[in-house]
Amino acid sequence: MPRPAAGREERRFALALFLPAFLLLVATTTLPLLYLVWSSTQRIDLTMPWLSGFAGLENYAKLGADARFWQSLQLTLVYTGATVVLQVAIGLGLALLVMQVRSGQALLRIAAILPIVLAPVVAGLFWRSLVLAPDFGIVDFLTRALGLGSYNWLGDPQLALVSVIAIHTWQWTPFAFLVLLASLAALPPELYEAARLDRAGPWQRFRHITLPMIRPAIVIVVILRMVTALSAFAAIFAATGGGPGSATEILNLYAYRLSFTELNIGYGSAVATVLLLITLSVAFLLFGLRRAR
Amino acid sequence: MKASVLRSSVLLAFAVAMMVVWVFPVAWGLVTSLKTERDVLAYPPTVVFDPTAANYQDVFSGSASIVPNLISSLIVSGLTTALTMLFAIPAAYALARLDLPWKRGAGFWVLATQMLPPVGLVIPYFLLLRGVGWTDTYQGLVLVYLTFALPFAIWLLVSYFEEIPREMEEAALLDRAGRLRALWHVVLPQAKGGIAVTVIFVFLNSWNEFLFAVVLGGNTVRTVTVAMFNFISLEQTQWARLAAAAMVGMAPVIALGLIAQKHIVKGLTVGAVKGGGRR
Amino acid sequence: MSAAAVSLAGIVKRHGAVTALAGIDLEVAPGEFFSLLGPSGSGKTTTLRILAGLEHADEGTVRLDGKDVTSLEPGARDVAMVFQSYALYPHMTVGENIAFPLRMSGVPRGEMESAVREAAARVRIDHLLERRPGQLSGGQQQRCALARAIVRKPALFLLDEPLSNLDAKLRVETRVELKRLQRALNVTAVYVTHDQEEALSLSDRLAVFMDGRVVQVGTPEEVFSRPATVDVAGFLGNPPMNLLPAWLEDGSALVEGTRLDLPSLRALGAREVTLGIRPSAVRIAAEGVPATVTMCEALGEDFFVDLSVGERLVRAKMNGRERPAERSQVRIQLEQGALHIFDRQTGLRL
Repeated sequence: MPRPAAGREERRFALALFLPAFLLLVATTTLPLLYLVWSSTQRIDLTMPWLSGFAGLENYAKLGADARFWQSLQLTLVYTGATVVLQVAIGLGLALLVMQVRSGQALLRIAAILPIVLAPVVAGLFWRSLVLAPDFGIVDFLTRALGLGSYNWLGDPQLALVSVIAIHTWQWTPFAFLVLLASLAALPPELYEAARLDRAGPWQRFRHITLPMIRPAIVIVVILRMVTALSAFAAIFAATGGGPGSATEILNLYAYRLSFTELNIGYGSAVATVLLLITLSVAFLLFGLRRAR
Repeated sequence: MKASVLRSSVLLAFAVAMMVVWVFPVAWGLVTSLKTERDVLAYPPTVVFDPTAANYQDVFSGSASIVPNLISSLIVSGLTTALTMLFAIPAAYALARLDLPWKRGAGFWVLATQMLPPVGLVIPYFLLLRGVGWTDTYQGLVLVYLTFALPFAIWLLVSYFEEIPREMEEAALLDRAGRLRALWHVVLPQAKGGIAVTVIFVFLNSWNEFLFAVVLGGNTVRTVTVAMFNFISLEQTQWARLAAAAMVGMAPVIALGLIAQKHIVKGLTVGAVKGGGRR
Repeated sequence: MSAAAVSLAGIVKRHGAVTALAGIDLEVAPGEFFSLLGPSGSGKTTTLRILAGLEHADEGTVRLDGKDVTSLEPGARDVAMVFQSYALYPHMTVGENIAFPLRMSGVPRGEMESAVREAAARVRIDHLLERRPGQLSGGQQQRCALARAIVRKPALFLLDEPLSNLDAKLRVETRVELKRLQRALNVTAVYVTHDQEEALSLSDRLAVFMDGRVVQVGTPEEVFSRPATVDVAGFLGNPPMNLLPAWLEDGSALVEGTRLDLPSLRALGAREVTLGIRPSAVRIAAEGVPATVTMCEALGEDFFVDLSVGERLVRAKMNGRERPAERSQVRIQLEQGALHIFDRQTGLRL
């Protein structure tokens, strides 16, 4: 049935309902963002306030030569890539498994909710203090018990990155799991019956029926998880603070440290702006891909 | 027959392993919170010990009490949720129902707003709120919280509103209800489920928020997430107390999660399928 | 409220580049049961919605009882509608559903309750007032929608394919009830349907829609026995009219190699035509057009015979004891008085 074209009064009504929220959003997001970009062109150093003033693109030029920035960028990419891939792989694998084992799904669902509702900062703290801590952490106990020796999960730069990736994956895999499970459960069983009659084996059924049909869900999960990974802050802050040194300092944390620890807000704004641009382009790209389908 | 039984057991083992991994940190946190500081540091980690309620006592009363922080969190999350719903419900309804040319653009813009990394907002807000003296105030923090709560709520609600058949509103219009009353009497009761889910998620996200709270809050407005760090200092970390504080601080959201789990799962999938959602 | 006269003049509706309605003119007399009949997409539902005020016409005027209501909001017109999906409010009881329009008009409580009971009793669901729509059967839901529509005693009653979701038997039963209800209430009804049988049995008059235009208006008998265009002819009747292309010249028509004498049509000269004949007017006889029986389908008392005439398929409806054998060669006669001739180019009746 054709949709009714909006009459004058309907249009006015809709506008009246939408405008307040719209204005509020513009005021609270777009304006501060413009301010962010503006401050990235300023030299705002709270430790040396007399130096403040217009700096043009100086901050951005500094980025080019800043090794810490490039490392941060690299860490961000590694972090985002690793966590998203792991989440989707584990989430999908688990969802497929659960589809076959009918019993206990309710329990699993409850277990899955826990990491999601936990505050990321608390997740970071828990892992830091209870699981990964040397000497009394559980992981340490297990590795020693298994004869694998003792590792400094949070103190060693390589391992620290692994640790924060693990924490993030731990917290957000349930999301991928739940969404993909729902997606799989919604597939009509007749498709599989037809495929079986057509002599398709389990792997073929997966490749040619399951995978294409849940592709939209996977894409959405990837997009959402990427955005979360790019804005991840609290868990890393709680677990390692960005360290040791700068070993886990993704762009988010770098911008934070610059602005609030080193009080160099102008430069921090520049880093934040770069992160913003990256996030928006990723979102744009992936959504464009999605619509193109 | 045997092969499938073996397969089932392996799958079951996997599922159980996953469950354990997901529940473990919280469970271990609970266990730790009942230990004395000394027991915590014991090696190998003990599962059998003399439980003590001392940590919880400290965390509730006394100098280390996080009760004021609980109250802060409640105020911030409550206000954010209330204000968000007030603005988001009409806006989402308008977006869902209207077929106007700017709908697409508006929808995308709302979505984009939702995806912003918080660090991009915390910096300008720090400067702005400082300028008007609104740091460490409830109004300042709630205002900032709206930046992520509002677009998210709108996006989630739009998908719920779109599910309600138009004909019902048309029938109400013909029944002389007028647009506002049609919304109130006919549409909103239908959207109750969606509204409940949105309220849950907005509250959850606000309660668990950290970055804005730590930068823009202070001594007056100090939410539970920030209060965790009361127990961590350069010299030492009070692990057991921290665990207790975390359990107390997270109790509301965990309870919410367990009670409303069906709603939450539905909300996640609806939000994901329609494209959006911060979490 | 007494029944309203409805008048549509020059209604045009466009959706982007597509013209849904290309100029509709209709007059409905007060108290009339008027159907809008046509295939899907012909514009009949759009016309109904414009009458209701749910859609706005790009051009033209709508009048109720002479009053111009074209720009009036749906609630301001004295119109009630039964939707195809019923559009019942699932969170309210049946009683609350029916009471809703009265509640919105500010009718006092006592009056409201008695009106609800009366409306429910009329459609025989007064025992279901405490139930929710989800607990009702399809037929009961439909009656609930009806009750909600009549409780206000509107001047105009609009129905959008209200029977399409019911099973066949219920459809026929409810059809009769609907007509009786309309008569009893003496309300003007405009009824949209794609089911020609429904329209022909229910209406006082009907309008046939094709591609956004009204191609014929008249009583069921008029439209059935004298279809104005070949499309209308092919649309009405079950089984539909047989349409055969022919060449008309000099008072006789050449159909699939056979000549039919039609002296009365000499005046029409020479042209390409389409001949229409209803299945019931086709007879197997000793002389006539040669045909081969391809299939014979029994249906109760009658049987349908599929015949191939040259390259064309002709359906005949016969009764009687003799069933022609399949693949037998027969001759068919087309009742002269029952022939419809349409110009091939324009589709119009000659």
